[in-house]
Amino acid sequence: MSFKGFDKQTYIVDSAKAFGSRKISKREFMRRMGMAGIGFSAFSAGLLGNPYRRSLGKPAYAADITLPDDQVKFLKEVGGKYKGATVRYTSEATPPTVVLNQIKDQFTNLTGINVEVEIVPLEQVLAKATQDVQGQLGSYDLYYLDQAWVATFAPDCIDPIQYTKDKPDLAMPGFDWDDFSKPLVSGLAMYEGKMVGIPFDIPIFILMYRQDILEKHGIKVPTNYAEFTDAVHKITEAEKANNIFGTGLQAKSGHYSLECDWTQAVWGHGGSIFRADKTFSGNDEAAIKGLQWYQDLLKNAPAASTTSTWDGQFQMMAAGQCALVQSWDEFFPGLDADDSKVKGLWQPAKPLQSEAGLRPASEAGFGELPNLGHQGGSIMGLSQYSKNQEAAWIFMQWACSKEIMTQCTLAGGFAPMRLSSFADERVKAKAKVMPGTTRHLETVLWTIDNVMASEPDMPLWAGFANNEIPTELGKLTTGQDYGGDAKKCMDAIAAMIDSKNKEAGLL
Amino acid sequence: MQGPRFTRILRDITAVLVVGIFMFPIFWWGLTSIKPISAIFNKDEVVFFDFEPTLVNYQVVLFGKSRAELAIESGSTFGVGGGSTYDSRKTILDSTLVAVGSTALTVFLGVIAAYALSRINFRGRQAYLNWILSQRFMPPIAIIVPIVFMYHYAGLRDTITGLIFIHTLINLPIAVLLMKSFFDDVPVDVDEAAMLDGATRFQIFRKVILPLVTGGVAATAVLCFVFSWTEFLLSLFLTNQIRTLPVKISTFVTSTGSEWGFISALGTSAIVPSFIFILLVQKQLVRGLTLGSLKD
Amino acid sequence: MSQATVAIRPARGFVLPRFLTSEHPFPWLAPITAVLLIFGVYPLLYALWLSLHKRNPATRISIFDPEYNWLKILTDDRMWGAIGHTYLYTIVAIAIELVLGLLIALLLDTDRRGYGVLRALMTLPLVVPPAVTGMMFLLMMDGSFGVLSRGLYATGLLSPSTPILANSSTALTGILIADVWQWTPFMVLIMMAGLRALPKDPYEAAAIDGATPVQAFFKLTLPMLSKIIAIAVLIRGVDLFRTFDYVKVMTEGGPGTATETLTAYAGTIYFKNADFPYASTIALMTLILVVVTSSLFIKIFKVRF
Repeated sequence: MSFKGFDKQTYIVDSAKAFGSRKISKREFMRRMGMAGIGFSAFSAGLLGNPYRRSLGKPAYAADITLPDDQVKFLKEVGGKYKGATVRYTSEATPPTVVLNQIKDQFTNLTGINVEVEIVPLEQVLAKATQDVQGQLGSYDLYYLDQAWVATFAPDCIDPIQYTKDKPDLAMPGFDWDDFSKPLVSGLAMYEGKMVGIPFDIPIFILMYRQDILEKHGIKVPTNYAEFTDAVHKITEAEKANNIFGTGLQAKSGHYSLECDWTQAVWGHGGSIFRADKTFSGNDEAAIKGLQWYQDLLKNAPAASTTSTWDGQFQMMAAGQCALVQSWDEFFPGLDADDSKVKGLWQPAKPLQSEAGLRPASEAGFGELPNLGHQGGSIMGLSQYSKNQEAAWIFMQWACSKEIMTQCTLAGGFAPMRLSSFADERVKAKAKVMPGTTRHLETVLWTIDNVMASEPDMPLWAGFANNEIPTELGKLTTGQDYGGDAKKCMDAIAAMIDSKNKEAGLL
Repeated sequence: MQGPRFTRILRDITAVLVVGIFMFPIFWWGLTSIKPISAIFNKDEVVFFDFEPTLVNYQVVLFGKSRAELAIESGSTFGVGGGSTYDSRKTILDSTLVAVGSTALTVFLGVIAAYALSRINFRGRQAYLNWILSQRFMPPIAIIVPIVFMYHYAGLRDTITGLIFIHTLINLPIAVLLMKSFFDDVPVDVDEAAMLDGATRFQIFRKVILPLVTGGVAATAVLCFVFSWTEFLLSLFLTNQIRTLPVKISTFVTSTGSEWGFISALGTSAIVPSFIFILLVQKQLVRGLTLGSLKD
Repeated sequence: MSQATVAIRPARGFVLPRFLTSEHPFPWLAPITAVLLIFGVYPLLYALWLSLHKRNPATRISIFDPEYNWLKILTDDRMWGAIGHTYLYTIVAIAIELVLGLLIALLLDTDRRGYGVLRALMTLPLVVPPAVTGMMFLLMMDGSFGVLSRGLYATGLLSPSTPILANSSTALTGILIADVWQWTPFMVLIMMAGLRALPKDPYEAAAIDGATPVQAFFKLTLPMLSKIIAIAVLIRGVDLFRTFDYVKVMTEGGPGTATETLTAYAGTIYFKNADFPYASTIALMTLILVVVTSSLFIKIFKVRF
């Protein structure tokens, strides 16, 4: 890691700007200038070599966060009434939550409400939240709900819009509901007409490519599945000796990541997961084509793909093992980290077009939205069983307010939920090659607005998406069963899912 | 076993080699903890020593340094954010309290029970002993849901006390088995002699027998400590804010990747205290782990 | 004995009932019994109660239907697979750990200089939390970057196109390696304890008769160790049967269901499908199998604690 001339200049300029707009104190400004002066000193290289690939931009300095006065007043006066209360929130370790956990003290300083954020891996969140709602324990006030579970937890959460109407005294001024990206609200937070929570995180599938490798082989950036497949084959063939593959996948058997890859492939080939009559359609012709395409892709990806989740896929990309990937946009900030071997080499592009055409949402079931960019967003939901509902609601509004959401993006470089954050000057200023970069956000916004796809909304989906589907797919992709026959595998899944739905009275 | 020189050297080499193989994963883990990420994940070759060592992972997990502080020290604010979720000092305290507390409780309950099982004859003694041991047969996963609900209503959820009890439950069978074998090693004549002097059972236990088995108590305590220190599943589900070490480490797996640097740094640190304890009682362990098989 | 009872009579003439005196086992065993009943037996009964319910995942309502889960378990292919994997895993791991443990114990059990250090180092794997061991081996067995994988590729024992954890026929071996690494040292300690407790005389007699060390080992050591071996196998076997952490961390039961053990399957149904009643049923089935198997073992090998 080095404090390169370029970085140093930007850093000085950034700091000067921040000082000019009184975002940092004079003392802080002087200190930063001093730092830039000593810059890359010898000790920093050896002892403190920087291992952070998923760099969180510049530190979220307290002075940087400037809430509007009326919101500060609201937090002090209304929030102050709940002084001493403790709000408990359980979440996956996603970038916004990590940032939120770091700046939550500022909320406590204003209101006197304590916040405990419990950060655990995704499936542990699911297990713990499930336990909480099953026993109606109220051990959490706020839930982190992945898009795949929204329907499952819908009855346990309070509709925030309704809550605003019911308790006007507790509504934060200047919250601006219309500022939330519309497709996100409808695709992520709504279930059967109820708003289950506030959108909080939106990782979404985009195409990412290694510009240098594509140029080396004279390949133009693929725009559809055929071009992508050709390019992947070509690169695997040509770069075998360099240990570089056409693509890298998150095909860990029995893991949700494999299910995400699979749905993307199905939609991209004109298929859907359910039919309008709510039977499973993953075994129809279009869907089988998608799966077969994916099976072929696996042959052009590092062998470790079948044991990798998004974690492993990111490592492949960061280590320079693959050239073309259709996956989560939130890898981007980390790919541009200082110690990354591929800094500035990956480029974002729109998700691949489908030659087969998309299946209209009206022909899919359970509110599924077939499209080109698989979204893996999550929402923050207010628990029915919470014993601190009002304090939790105030925290939730703070966490989802314009300034805090923008700060989360600034600190992490991941996609925001609010249009104003996308448009924020500070966010735009980081749209260049740097750790915590926001240069992919333009593509992300386009994807959200135009081609965002959503998995079905149904109470059993959390189980299907995390267990039945990826486990059977794993048997197929690793050759444990089905002898490589995609159709056989999908028929087995179809039978399983339809019978479970029937038993639960959904079919 | 003093064979010819050649055999001796062969034995030395084999011994070192075998122990070396068993040491390798830990050595590698320690090495990983001081590597930059790019040396952990190198697409072309395994990186052994060709990297710039860094202590940054330890600074974060053990000394609570935030990414922001590190940024300022290293002269770059780029690529660095805060690190409060990785600060593991409270975790170490929690883990220590739970392990020490449950060890104390287990040893207390286990020792008195084991003494009675070793010395007092009563009907169904063997059946009772089997019942205690059978508690170890239960898969922890079977009792998670019930325990979570029970703890919720008893106010034990997310408390050190709650964890102490559950770890005690897990360790009691092995503690009773071990301690009983230590008591069995002490000849019954000793008790009988004391009894002739008019001592009660309790007095014999405290003044005569217990001092004879302190080594065994220590060995049992260390094993209980280690098992509590390393327990994962129940600690995970019974706590929200209290974090034991294995649980904390599992949270370093995030939505955008696993923090292998922090995982290995805290993983390596977690080994140290229990290893020291186990060294202290190794002699007793080697005696005590006969598990009562010497009895006729 | 009567003397002892007399001794604790307080001077005031108040007499403790017999069962409260220290001559009676009750006061010694009451505390442990209480703890085991509250934290062990009660949850178990609760789990049993749960398993008698049928849960509708859509409405989340559980109705009392005692046969539902227990019949379902008999026709569940994944369950039978898990039973198979569990027995395979337990038997193979026990065999390897026992043989290795005995050999290493014999190797290290000498008063020669330096061996104390080796014995100490040998206990190191024991103190690593199993969940962390899983992560450690996961990293070492990573198909692309793992040091172990690359070592195996280099020696040609494994093809880079089928990483150890990605192949349904080798994944279980991968997990076994982690288990063997962690628990062989435990066996070494037990075997060393057994070796040290052996009487010396038979060996002297055998030496006079001209027996070789190998003959002495099979004729004397092994038979004399048989009791401790039986106990060690029982204790380890019970733990192995319930293995969870390694499977969860390293493969999640995959690829497919190739490494899915009983507890891992219960975990999946519990964590991912939230079907608490069925997960409880699987876990209880595990318990039943442990109890039956270990009882048979105790009978056959006449184990006594």
